[in-house]
Amino acid sequence: MMAQVLPAARRYGIAVVTVALFVLLAATTDGFLSQANFRNILDQQSALLIAASFATITMIAGGFDISAASVFVVAPLFALQVENATGNAGLALVVGVAVGLVVGAANGLVVTALKVNSFIATLATSFMVFGAGFLISDRSVLRASTDAYPAIARTRWWGITTGAWIAAGVVAVAWILLSRTRFGRQVYAVGGNAEAARLAGVHVARVKTIAFALAGTAAGLAGVVSSSRTLSALPSDDFSFVFGVIAAVVVGGTSIAGGEGAVWRTIAGAFFIALMINGFNLHQVDPIWQRVIQGAVILAAVSIDSWTQRRPT
Amino acid sequence: MKHAEALVSVRNASKRFGATQALEDVSVDFEVGRVHGLVGENGAGKSTLCKIVLGVHAPDGGSIRLEGSPLRLSSPAEGAALGLVGVAQELSLLPAMSVVDNVVLGTEEHWGPFVSERANRRRVETLIDEHGLEVPLDARAGSLSVADQQKVEILRALGRRSRLVVLDEPTARLASHEAAELLGTVRRLVERGVAVVYISHFLNEVLSVADTVTVMRDGRIVRTGPARLESHASLVEGMTGRHIGEVFPPKPPAPADDAPVVLRVDGLSATGAEFSDVSLQIRAGEILGLAGLVGAGRSEVAHAVYGSLAVASGSVEVCGHRLSGSVDDALANGVSLIPESRRDQGLMARRPVRDNTTLPYLRRFAGRLGIRAGREQEAASEACDDVGVRAESMLTPVAALSGGNQQKVLFARAVLGEPKLLIADEPTRGVDVGSKRAIYEALNRMARSGCAVLLVSSELEEVIGTCHRALVMRRGRIVAEHEGGDMTEASLLAAAFGPGDGTAEGRSQEPEAAAGEPR
Repeated sequence: MMAQVLPAARRYGIAVVTVALFVLLAATTDGFLSQANFRNILDQQSALLIAASFATITMIAGGFDISAASVFVVAPLFALQVENATGNAGLALVVGVAVGLVVGAANGLVVTALKVNSFIATLATSFMVFGAGFLISDRSVLRASTDAYPAIARTRWWGITTGAWIAAGVVAVAWILLSRTRFGRQVYAVGGNAEAARLAGVHVARVKTIAFALAGTAAGLAGVVSSSRTLSALPSDDFSFVFGVIAAVVVGGTSIAGGEGAVWRTIAGAFFIALMINGFNLHQVDPIWQRVIQGAVILAAVSIDSWTQRRPT
Repeated sequence: MKHAEALVSVRNASKRFGATQALEDVSVDFEVGRVHGLVGENGAGKSTLCKIVLGVHAPDGGSIRLEGSPLRLSSPAEGAALGLVGVAQELSLLPAMSVVDNVVLGTEEHWGPFVSERANRRRVETLIDEHGLEVPLDARAGSLSVADQQKVEILRALGRRSRLVVLDEPTARLASHEAAELLGTVRRLVERGVAVVYISHFLNEVLSVADTVTVMRDGRIVRTGPARLESHASLVEGMTGRHIGEVFPPKPPAPADDAPVVLRVDGLSATGAEFSDVSLQIRAGEILGLAGLVGAGRSEVAHAVYGSLAVASGSVEVCGHRLSGSVDDALANGVSLIPESRRDQGLMARRPVRDNTTLPYLRRFAGRLGIRAGREQEAASEACDDVGVRAESMLTPVAALSGGNQQKVLFARAVLGEPKLLIADEPTRGVDVGSKRAIYEALNRMARSGCAVLLVSSELEEVIGTCHRALVMRRGRIVAEHEGGDMTEASLLAAAFGPGDGTAEGRSQEPEAAAGEPR
């Protein structure tokens, strides 16, 4: 009995738990089951979902990328400087995303060519990128000067913000890339057993570099979407964004050891955390306690992951 | 011989791992002051037996007694506390720490929370004096030779007042003079009243150092007896039994003289000292064996042909086309490799059978929207059926399969590639007899369909039983070629060990010299 339940629980556990939380909140919480509330949750999660779907791919490839926070903070600073200078929101978007691509590719090269541990490498690049953010913004808040820049994420189509639509598109791309393409298979292979992948003709360094570059690009887009939502960007050296991203990936059940995981898991993980916070807010739970509980949930998720891995399925 | 009492007695022990009966009804005594040799093929149950005694595994049935009283160990730490220690094939030293620190690790002399360096040092010095094992005390363990590292491991075992020391293939990576030294150490150990269990594939070594020998096969004990009554031949016979004919299916017909040459290797030399000036050819439909000792450079040659190991000079041609030396190019030219270690080099354990089978050939299933799942599934299951992989479905993770079935997944991968040249590096290692036969049949089928096969194998019977022709490597060079009836264990062994010139490879030829004076 356990033999069948365990793998199944491991496979779909996070989805079941997320749905259960949804039902629980719907039954017990006033104001939860409203269109406005759902739209709000979607809109708030858009930046995180964009970054987390590609962070999932990096983690499956065996990398641990914490530079997403710095890119998230700094890409919109570059974008807004361009926007302020040229008034061209489209160009600003492209520049913001390009900043992410450059940082991500650099991370990938440092990790594969110099063989630096990816956590350390991305920690180091994070500091450099945060620094660049202060330089480019002259240490001040940058604000959108046109109506076009806020429109990137704030336009509503069928009641849903474009920020959420962009997130949906990015999630779909990451999902298909990972589950249906050769590149996706190679990502799993590289993270699962790099030497075996090499002997099967996979270009291990190339696959990893691309994974990091894509994650950087997604983080850049996430930053632009977020700044478009809030109409401004602030230079900082705040790592909190990436912790939210990693929490979503790990709570979803993607293995921090690499080789195992899925984009849908990250989506489920992200919504689990979002619903939890939403429920806390609706019940007016003290934000400080929210943190404590959120931490406990992440710890539980990772413990379950390591526990199930000790047992061969 | 003096009277010896049983320190550890194992009675009717059995142990099963999944579908494999690793031990069945095994009874044996390990005696104080004796070296007990343990021989058998891979998978015969030697290591499992020792792990049961050391507390690594719990037996499914039977009992173990320590000096007559029942022993139930639930962890190796418990065994170690009672003086039962193993020195594993892979050493477990901390390379960045000094010899002293390694020897006293876990049992440091201390004064409150502070480690007493001086007392530790004195203890290790005493140990070294007592046992005559010279090692530089302050050297970092990682900087020592393998033999010295082995000594540190043994010192560690001795420092814990060990009563039973299990040595699992202790000389596998040693040069001959180092091996001789080690055998001397072993003799000194037993003179001090320690019981030693000595596992080795070097039969002459076992014959020279052991007092008692136990021969194992397929998880059972064939016999236990005094070493002086055994010979190399009698041990081999006991280990292998007489079932060679059942294991090996009939060979495919030898290739005709005008069969095209598929692989032509010319003057291939490694960038290091792994191998040099290797030339060989394989015809379509031919199975060529590459025999020799571990470390002779056979796997390296296989990897060089496959493009996964860089070479300094020489050329590799497949069907007249010169390979560029990358794995991609080898795969594109119809070369498949089944690597030596399926766990480290072959499989993604947690990924499904399907993904593991198709990984190198995904391009074939490319469609406009990614991989065409239906086609891929079909091809994977066809290839797996072809070599007899038994799995619940194509989506089962390979970790859930038995060792033999995992190996067959690698064969399925190779079959899927429809190779012109198949390189199989130790394809039956750690595989049960039934799966072995299936693997030999798969090799034969490949050869019959016109594929050239390069089989790297440490098991001489396997080379003799499956290959049309065999090359023997020694110290990175091809030293002999034998064909058909000329392939005998004696001829291959002689070439593999070389003349008894006192070199590493010569040691099994000269057991007396290798053993030094200990008897």
